[in-house]
Amino acid sequence: MFNPQWDTNTPNRLRRRLVNGVIPVLLLAGFSVSPLVYANQAILFQMMAFMALAQGVNLLYGFTGYLPFGYVGFFGIGAYGMAISIQLLHFPGILAVIIGGLLSSVIAMAFLPLLRLSGAYFAISSLAAAEVLSHIVSNSAFIHITNGPYGEQLTQSYHPLTSYVVMVIVLVLTTVVVIFIRNRPFGRALMAIREDPVSAAMAGISVVRARSVVWLLSALIAGLTGALFGWHMSVFYPSTVFDLNISILAIVFTLFGGYGTVTGPVLGSIVLYGLYNAIGISDPQYFQLIYGLLIIALVLFLPGGIISLIQRRGNYVP
Amino acid sequence: MFAYSLISGILFGIFFGFMALGLNLIFGVMEMVNLAHGDFVVLGGYVGITALNSWHINPLVSLIFALLLFFVVGLGLFFPLVPRLSHSRDPEMLSLILFFGLSQVLEALMEIKFGVNPESLPLSVFGNSSWHFLGQSYQISWVVSALISLLMILLTYVFLYYTPMGRAVRAVMGNREEARATGLPVKRTSAIIFAIGIALAAMSGVLSPLMIGSIDPTSGLGLTTIAFAIVVIGSLGNPLGSVLGGLVYGISLMLMQTYLSSWSVLVPYLLLLIIVLVRPSGLLGKGVRHV
Amino acid sequence: MSHEPVLAFEDIVKKFGTFRALDKVSATLKAGEILGLVGPNGSGKTTLINVISGLYNPDAGKILFQGLDITRWPMHKRARVGINRTFQIPKPFKSLSITENVALAYHYGSKPAMNPRQALDFVGLSHAASQLALQLNSTQQKLLDLARALAAGPKILLIDELAAGLNHQELKVIADHVQLLAQQGIALIVVEHHLGFVNQLTNRVIVMNAGKEIFQGSLDQAAQDPVVSAVYLGTGS
Repeated sequence: MFNPQWDTNTPNRLRRRLVNGVIPVLLLAGFSVSPLVYANQAILFQMMAFMALAQGVNLLYGFTGYLPFGYVGFFGIGAYGMAISIQLLHFPGILAVIIGGLLSSVIAMAFLPLLRLSGAYFAISSLAAAEVLSHIVSNSAFIHITNGPYGEQLTQSYHPLTSYVVMVIVLVLTTVVVIFIRNRPFGRALMAIREDPVSAAMAGISVVRARSVVWLLSALIAGLTGALFGWHMSVFYPSTVFDLNISILAIVFTLFGGYGTVTGPVLGSIVLYGLYNAIGISDPQYFQLIYGLLIIALVLFLPGGIISLIQRRGNYVP
Repeated sequence: MFAYSLISGILFGIFFGFMALGLNLIFGVMEMVNLAHGDFVVLGGYVGITALNSWHINPLVSLIFALLLFFVVGLGLFFPLVPRLSHSRDPEMLSLILFFGLSQVLEALMEIKFGVNPESLPLSVFGNSSWHFLGQSYQISWVVSALISLLMILLTYVFLYYTPMGRAVRAVMGNREEARATGLPVKRTSAIIFAIGIALAAMSGVLSPLMIGSIDPTSGLGLTTIAFAIVVIGSLGNPLGSVLGGLVYGISLMLMQTYLSSWSVLVPYLLLLIIVLVRPSGLLGKGVRHV
Repeated sequence: MSHEPVLAFEDIVKKFGTFRALDKVSATLKAGEILGLVGPNGSGKTTLINVISGLYNPDAGKILFQGLDITRWPMHKRARVGINRTFQIPKPFKSLSITENVALAYHYGSKPAMNPRQALDFVGLSHAASQLALQLNSTQQKLLDLARALAAGPKILLIDELAAGLNHQELKVIADHVQLLAQQGIALIVVEHHLGFVNQLTNRVIVMNAGKEIFQGSLDQAAQDPVVSAVYLGTGS
């Protein structure tokens, strides 16, 4: 829990920096090399997407205490922002992805008042917000913009290699951002706000601004990821990119690995998404049963996730 | 048209008020949101459908059966799960996550047992006649469901306000710490309310296929959201609030279905967002507890 | 010592519903001055601290900091210019270490300020610097709260009921420390139940009752004031 900045023990500080730095490097190397040895690129892509989403959930829940059941709303908006940029504005793919991410942040700005809510109020209201977005996008009133319930087909811009590479970059950048926040006073400030907003304000922390920054940042992450997902799939429907199971899985991966850390969501995504591929595609209900039971067991016996097993012995975990 | 939407809105509203009642009680007494609430409603629905299809048991009988069965289920779930949570560092958040896990488990079990296809009850299950009122006719099954819902809400009201147990429940709702300090059996009260909350959810579930058309294992989360919206509209911990919230929801839904049908699916979500952002203590509420 | 008041509040009114928790309270404070705020429970002392620190917005009245109108400023902005406080029931950041608790205030607060080590030395918590805050007892939590306030570089420090639960020896030490802060030029308002403790600190007090300021002057005069004695005898304090 010690902050390297305020840690006077220099060898320790160096070691921690090194351990932190290794994570994005490993991710970069791992996802760059693995397509050469493992043919199913779609699975690797989706694992990266979920890892990025899990980090977004981690920022919101792990650092600020907001549990975003409706996180998928930003993902879907990103996908549609990208698709509309390609279809109607004829933007090139990468620019369209950036537009998708930014559009998510803009929508997040409109939903900033949700941050006044806490606990279950926020969690369920965010879900309601995502449902509203989903139904607006799929409503036939906007069929000339979103193609309504019929979805988007981007076959002319389909470029799996580029979208894969950009996804690697977005994942690595997201991880770097989370590492940065965790190891800077800003991350401590977020944790302080989570514990007691009044004491935090009296320490000079701008509570509203800090929360808003995290909200917009996590929306950007989900928006970029959704945009890349849509581009990589090239054919999708509102029900694909606004599927509540996307939020649910991202939350489960984060809780399973351990929130408030950098490695927790990475580990959770690798293990559980791996499990999902082993049994979830043919028997989704059994996968759901397993992770449902896992969540119950975690809350009762290991609320800090599997990472806390290592932390418990006083070990530093990035 | 307007009269029809209004009356059917009232019928639906009373039913949805009943559907949300269990969530409201548990929320009020334990300060926990049972995210699996909707899944218990759906389970109740499957009880009614299975009883009718397999054993030709009328839903009126299944109602009582579901009430008793899920009271026992509720007690069985309470003791291993909830007391442990109350002693944890962040009971509010952890309970939310725990019940979310439970909801996933129930959804998965229902898919394994009943498959993913929507199932329904015949609307004629309470007879083929219809109710004529002010020149419009209404499904008799809607009227019967609303009457049963009303009866159950009244019984809950009587329980809360005219029995010693009910007084204990209201004391715990008012102030948990104080209730504990005055020697009230807070844990036992919580256990019974938890069981009643789940039993009422399942009981309303028996009627749910008649009111919402059909159910499938994934209907739960949507029903939980609707119930939560109703509870927040009507102010938590107040059974009359559930009726008010249900009526607001039912009437808005029917008016939207009549005049703006393509947007009617948004009704619960928009109502929830408006109420939490404008008046988070609900229409009847005096103070805000968690916001 | 400057003669310009560092803090002035005029006719502060704060209502909760129809209840007037503060009814036209005014005072000024110079750098290095200690003002005791005394009165029975519910008289509005803590409410006044809450209004000055920005936790509540007043319904009427004005707060000036070095001549600047800060009546509507949010809490963190006040903390950043040097208005800070301690809490009657402190809520430290429990999952952060003692040092981190203080270091946050040092990072985001006003300058110049005591650095985290100096602040912890000052309150006598340096030995526990690397422990988590959740390991502290309630007296230590109060000291940590004070260290947190000091590391934010206060020019005005509002201290809410620091003496409660301390023994005679500890009181003496705390009183000396508060005097020391005043000598460094910090203006202090000390909310206190414990009149003996106030007496060790300052001779200037405001006595409050039912949201109103019923006396302002020296503690000795207050003791002889018939209105003040009526309030104190009436409540049995």
